[in-house]
Amino acid sequence: MTFLSPLFLVGAAAAVVPIVLHLLRRRPEQRVRFAAVMFLRTAPVEHTSRRRLREWLLLTLRVTALVLLALAFARPFLRTASAGAIGTTVVLLDTSFSMSAPGRFDRAKSLAKDAVRNATSGYDVALVTFSDQAAVVVRPTPDRGAVAAAIDAAASGFGATRYRAGLNAAGSLVAGLRCVIVVVTDLQESGWDAGEHASVPAGTRVEIRDVGALPENLAITSLRVDSDRVIATIRNSGSRGHQVRARLRIAGKQAAEASVTVEARGSADAVFSDIGARVTVPATDGGAAAVTIDDPAGIQADNVRYALISSATTRPSVLVATTSGDLAREAFYLEQALAAGQSGRNAPDVTGVSAAKLSAWTREQVARHAVVVLLSTRGLEPRGRETLASYVAAGGGLLVAAGPDVDGDVVADVLGAGARLQIVADTGGARVDRSRAAVSWTLAPADLRHPIFRAFGAEVASLGLVTFRTAARISGSACQTLARFTSGDAALIDCTAGDGHAIVLASDLDNRWNDFPLRSSFVPLVHEMVRYLSTPGDRAAEYVVGDVPAGVPPVPGVVAAPSPRGANVRSRKVVVNVDSRESDPSRISPDEFQAVVTQLRDGAAQARAGVAAQESTQEIWPFLIGLMIAILAVEGIVAARSA
Amino acid sequence: MPASTRDRQFLDPAVVARLGTLELKARTVVEGFISGLHRSPFKGFSVEFAEYRQYIHGDDLSTIDWKVFARSDRYYVKKFEEETNLNCQLMIDVSGSMAYGSVGITKFEYAACLAASLGYLMNRQRDGVGLTAFDDRVVAALPASTRPGHMRHLLITLNRLVPGSRTDVSKPLHQLASSMNRRGMVVLISDLLDDPEAIIRGLKHFQYRGSDVLVFHILDPDELEFPFDRTTRFEDLETSEEVMAVPGLVRSHYLRQISGLIERYRRELGAAGIDYQLLSTKQPLEMALLAYLSTRSRTA
Repeated sequence: MTFLSPLFLVGAAAAVVPIVLHLLRRRPEQRVRFAAVMFLRTAPVEHTSRRRLREWLLLTLRVTALVLLALAFARPFLRTASAGAIGTTVVLLDTSFSMSAPGRFDRAKSLAKDAVRNATSGYDVALVTFSDQAAVVVRPTPDRGAVAAAIDAAASGFGATRYRAGLNAAGSLVAGLRCVIVVVTDLQESGWDAGEHASVPAGTRVEIRDVGALPENLAITSLRVDSDRVIATIRNSGSRGHQVRARLRIAGKQAAEASVTVEARGSADAVFSDIGARVTVPATDGGAAAVTIDDPAGIQADNVRYALISSATTRPSVLVATTSGDLAREAFYLEQALAAGQSGRNAPDVTGVSAAKLSAWTREQVARHAVVVLLSTRGLEPRGRETLASYVAAGGGLLVAAGPDVDGDVVADVLGAGARLQIVADTGGARVDRSRAAVSWTLAPADLRHPIFRAFGAEVASLGLVTFRTAARISGSACQTLARFTSGDAALIDCTAGDGHAIVLASDLDNRWNDFPLRSSFVPLVHEMVRYLSTPGDRAAEYVVGDVPAGVPPVPGVVAAPSPRGANVRSRKVVVNVDSRESDPSRISPDEFQAVVTQLRDGAAQARAGVAAQESTQEIWPFLIGLMIAILAVEGIVAARSA
Repeated sequence: MPASTRDRQFLDPAVVARLGTLELKARTVVEGFISGLHRSPFKGFSVEFAEYRQYIHGDDLSTIDWKVFARSDRYYVKKFEEETNLNCQLMIDVSGSMAYGSVGITKFEYAACLAASLGYLMNRQRDGVGLTAFDDRVVAALPASTRPGHMRHLLITLNRLVPGSRTDVSKPLHQLASSMNRRGMVVLISDLLDDPEAIIRGLKHFQYRGSDVLVFHILDPDELEFPFDRTTRFEDLETSEEVMAVPGLVRSHYLRQISGLIERYRRELGAAGIDYQLLSTKQPLEMALLAYLSTRSRTA
């Protein structure tokens, strides 16, 4: 039995009124000292007990009538299986790796089972686990035993806490008028991004079951490979310092150990030097480094971290496509920049080719190069465009200088529909923004965190010295703007296409539309762009568990990622790490959690309509009204006899 | 004359009850009553000549002095000094049930006034008057006498009486009947809320002993009409037994019972030659005196 308008049940409190009146009006019976009691003794006397029974009967009738009235207004109906649940309790169990500390997940499971046990009678119960992603483990069911069993079978994973994912999944399970989402979590602050909100359907109540604060924990928050060194940053969230022994393994073999003191609530770097002298890194594919620490009492998943070590013998191979293929004439500054400052061992291998000849190349020929620099699209036929598109989609790097010889449509073909790149330039005079020719602009980085600006450091302002006289207008929906002209237009964008990336500069690299090649910032920027595009580790070779691409299991480690473009493109090695933010012990309060959860207005409307329809088919309330009237009639008769 | 109009000529018992002493009450009642009897045939029953009085319509023809008529050609009747040969014993019930009253006077007070009035009247008529008060036993006894000062003793005795415990009318009746050694008159003043069989048997005992019996059945209007409307817990004045009753439910049964009791007394006592007079405490005491005089006239 449930109710369409349960608020009216509050009216049942009016049943207190006759009880109060009964108690207040209980005047003592009239007492008369009488002489002729002998005649009353034989009369049909109403003895006290009978009188009291009659009064209680009257009180019961009156209270029942009021309760029936409240019930009738609350519109009761019998829940039937075909109509689905009236309410749902969704247990949202946090399985992020912060729950992997000893005993922590057991407590979470205990709280979850309590929530199942205490779920409102008549509600279906569901189980959703969440970390980076949410998984519906048990859909809403009246079988609470099944949900409890699923909770027993649950285990903490390697994902980071993302409350929004969990709440969205739980909200999608709402059935019926009401829903209770019980979030069993450790309330980590990192589970919400800054300014993030989550929405749940209207009528949903979110309850928090706090597992408790994180235990004292040691975590490897980053692992970097810097030339011949491997640097692991270890953070101590505990209240006392620790002497931490870190061990480095490369390609599965023990490589080095380092001991570092980490102060309370501080971080320290464990540095492993001269790696090349200690181990042999595979020449063709590089190797994987793994650093581990011992922290038996804390979170387990953040005690190891992986990184890729590029092969020291690999030289980036750069293919430069121009109109004629003569680099000395058409890409002089670029060629010189690529060669500048590099030792013979690390200097890129630069190859020039005409766009027309490139059209005849096979995919394998193009795939041998780490980066393709497209300075001209003149003569690049559709076959060549397809070849370049396959190359980028398979993970290749493409640098496009949208100079006078580049056609935006051709570039759009190469980057695919997802990029939707538009280059508007004065090439051919067809789509020239002539108003731009009269002025000049400088460059300003928009995202200094991007790897291509990393080498500049504080000198990034030097990019502002470059004067652009003519520029193309570039844009793309799947592109990140890295730098803008002072006009506000995009100057440098990083576009994603498949597994590859393309950096598009809205001008040329040959001192024709700008003076960039003459500036000191030209060489380092070119180098960083080539490094970024050629090094999968910087681009897409390191993932956190929540962002792994298809085919890569969301488990920390080193795996060979299959190519989505087919078996003819070789797989690449990627590392998967846990999200270091999950090791942050900062917490939020339940009230803060509730504050970022908002209720949607339309969520339960459909379910409410269904329930209302079900109630209207049964229409129990007229019977309750009839019963109430009958009871009032009986009450009237009994009351008249009790006068 | 309608009864109500006639009743207004008498004193309200509640008013009488508010008078000071019992003697004053009795005198007020009796003197008023006697003045009201100015033209009544009840003149007393003496044998010694007192005076002549002109005959008026209704006087007993036997009292006309024919010699005076022969001399004066007018009718005169002879008035005689009272020279009683009647002893009257007043029996007043002082059981607990007599303590009930709802109209400003209890049955006991009414009975005491009535006894005092009767005693005063009897004393005026030179009848010997005695008093016996009883509940389940005799609590006060004053033999009948016509001596000077006896009336005062009787009134003092009456004045000291208070309602007592349970009623057992028949027992003192039999005691008194056995102790009476000369013919007389017995006046029982009681609410008769006891076993009617035993009471009637006791009263017949007096008759057997040659006495005339007059019964005043005193009841309160509440007992006659049962006017209660609220649910009431009734407590027996004698036994303290409690009975909760809804008057609406029990009224008809009660009235049947009380009417049955009255009717039984009226019928059985009448059949035995015992005068029975039902008196509500609302009724004037003079009504009782009239009943007494009626009985007394038959006795004489």
